Amino acid sequence: MWRALAAVGALELRTRLRDGTALVIALIVPVTLATLFSVALGGDDPPLRATVGFVDLDRGEFPASVRREVAGSEELKGSVTLRDLPGREEARRALDDGGIGAAIVFPAGFSRSVGEGRGGDVAVLTSPESPLAGVVARAVVDRISALVDARTLAVRAVLKAGVPGDEVKELVERNGAAGPVPALEDDPLSGGKVDLSVHYGSGMAALFAFFVAGASFRGLLTERKLGTLDRMRAGPLAAWVPFAGKAAVGFALALVSVCVTWAASVLVSGATWGDPPAVFAVLLAHVLAAAAITMLVTSRVRTDAQADGVIMVVSFVMAFLGGSLVPMHSLPGVLQAAALLTPNGWTSTALTGLAGSGAGPAGSVGAVAGPVAVLGAIALVAGGLAVLGMKKGTLL
Amino acid sequence: MTASDPMTTPSTPPVPSTPPVPESAPSPPALSCRGLSKRYGDVHAVRDVGFDIAPGEAYGLLGPNGAGKTTTISMLVGLIRPGGGHVRVCGVDLAADPMRAKARIGYVPQEIALYPELTGRENLRFFGRLFGLPRRALAGRIDEVLDLVGLTGRADSRLKTYSGGMKRRINIGTALLHRPDVLILDEPTVGVDPQSRKAILDGVERLVGEGMSLLYTSHYMEEVERVCDRVAIIDHGRIIAEGTRRELIALVGGADKVELSLDGDLETALAKLRAVEGVIEAAMTGAASIRLLTEGGRYLLPALITAVDGCAAVTATQVIEPDLEATFLHLTGSTLRD
Ligand SMILES: Nc1ncnc2c1ncn2[C@@H]1O[C@H](COP(=O)(O)OP(=O)(O)OP(=O)(O)O)[C@@H](O)[C@H]1O
Ligand SMILES: [Mg+2]
Repeated sequence: MWRALAAVGALELRTRLRDGTALVIALIVPVTLATLFSVALGGDDPPLRATVGFVDLDRGEFPASVRREVAGSEELKGSVTLRDLPGREEARRALDDGGIGAAIVFPAGFSRSVGEGRGGDVAVLTSPESPLAGVVARAVVDRISALVDARTLAVRAVLKAGVPGDEVKELVERNGAAGPVPALEDDPLSGGKVDLSVHYGSGMAALFAFFVAGASFRGLLTERKLGTLDRMRAGPLAAWVPFAGKAAVGFALALVSVCVTWAASVLVSGATWGDPPAVFAVLLAHVLAAAAITMLVTSRVRTDAQADGVIMVVSFVMAFLGGSLVPMHSLPGVLQAAALLTPNGWTSTALTGLAGSGAGPAGSVGAVAGPVAVLGAIALVAGGLAVLGMKKGTLL
Repeated sequence: MTASDPMTTPSTPPVPSTPPVPESAPSPPALSCRGLSKRYGDVHAVRDVGFDIAPGEAYGLLGPNGAGKTTTISMLVGLIRPGGGHVRVCGVDLAADPMRAKARIGYVPQEIALYPELTGRENLRFFGRLFGLPRRALAGRIDEVLDLVGLTGRADSRLKTYSGGMKRRINIGTALLHRPDVLILDEPTVGVDPQSRKAILDGVERLVGEGMSLLYTSHYMEEVERVCDRVAIIDHGRIIAEGTRRELIALVGGADKVELSLDGDLETALAKLRAVEGVIEAAMTGAASIRLLTEGGRYLLPALITAVDGCAAVTATQVIEPDLEATFLHLTGSTLRD
């Protein structure tokens, strides 16, 4: 049985490798498109401007120093502007009508609370329409949080040592715990660049996985037309062997295709997609789902030519809705909901999330577990329906 | 009831619980089927088809287009599940143990079912491996098969460069790789020139001569008459007659076949000929020919020529002794090729 399976797989692989267009579709096109997109749209010098709303209900030293820092930063000059807003409500409204891309809100009493060692939280308001502003605002707040943590710790230590409350602040500052000056990261915009290059890379990988996996199932229809499928089925081998041999090769080639696109994206743009095992898990689950969906298509059409057409349409619709072509947030709300029905939507969300979070191995595997489970479920449902259809159509 | 009735005579020796089996049990039929049926919607493609093919026997399935030959074969080789009935290959039930049953069948599809982009040898190698031939034995077996079908010289050309006859031959050769006990050929000579056809028939006869069982379907009477020991005539999904060539021809009785070539209004001529005393069947076989099944054909000729007088002129006549085709005409009322 294994020999028969290997024979089918070897022939399929050979047919695909001999066919030049197959290689082009599996490797060259997705890599080229992903590179072109990320260079053209997400390039080295993002022509993007972000206006970040600034709500200062605290009126203390923390907000003041953040304002100073942003104004003085060479990297942010010209691309990030702070706009003062009177309150959270106004910020929300400005965010909704596109006046600002994100907002930072300092609650009342923030500086005092930190000074007394009780910590504090700065809120960030973001909008999916301007991810870049969100990245900047979050970078600023991350710095503040780190400072606040350090400050809180120091204050508590000093209090524990028995220093009277009204001398604590002065003592802490005098002894080197830096003042409330949140030194910004070198280039908070680099996060935005990562987003774009990962977005286009993963989008192309997700789209082309459909074509590459689909080609093998389409091949099953070609073999039915040729009569070779019946010849195999009349031989002494289990009915699933021709199907399994081809499916395995299609799946493996699609996996190679997405991984090469991933590697190329990392090499070309220098962007990391996040923790490799987590990225791989998402890509693997996506290829499974894409294979199952193209298999379902194959089981419902009559000829290989029909399969080509329908797989093309289905792949592009899924890619469009799932944010593989244009970012999901630029689609109308109804369509954004439809993204949840496509593997591309889950893959795109998981991968951009991973790249943005910079989480370590433990955190990132947990972060993608949900999307991976959904992708697996899509693969199971589509695959199950496909198997039923294929049995009826004597493909399996 | 009499005293000698075995059922009531106590002195009768007890009936053995199993039928007496001689030491050398006769081997089971190479291929046997019973009650095979298949429907496609309202179309009864195959109805209650059953026959046995003894080891080493060549069996023909003769029928016109759409008679149900391919559908029957598809059930015999396990490609479609029968609506009813069962199949045994060398005593192995196809439904119960498909792998073992299929291993003994060599199936030659009606169409060339091979990869045009691969060479002849590569095609053979692929199906050989698929059918479980060990790698080491395979190369030798491929050479044998190539030799058998006379393609050794072209083994390494791509299949798409083969002529129609060569494709037909390698189509058959592929089914021989795993040395099957039964060879099933579905119209193996469609669309080949007489020379290739002869080569194919010679090869098939040689295989049968070496002891292989054969199921041969065709709508060419001559082929089936030449190759097969026994023939079943199938029409509209049903076997309407079965037997040796002699038995089948006997069914027609003393009928003769008369071929008439005519000029004129053939439709009217056909109707008039049917009305002639002694004519059993009449069918149009071409734009200017009619075939008749008659009693005492030779003596009927003057009456036939007179009958069509006025609507058509007879330009040639031929009287043929009964053969399978006459039988077919007799049984089905239609010609094989229409
Ligand atoms: N898949 C199918 N779906 C519907 N009808 C079918 C199908 N396969 C065969 N038939 C019908 O069943 C009947 C028998 O077809 P079959 O192919 O067995 O005939 P055949 O004797 O092999 O004819 P031919 O000499 O043309 O090959 C025909 O009426 C055909 O139209
Ligand atoms: Mg047929």
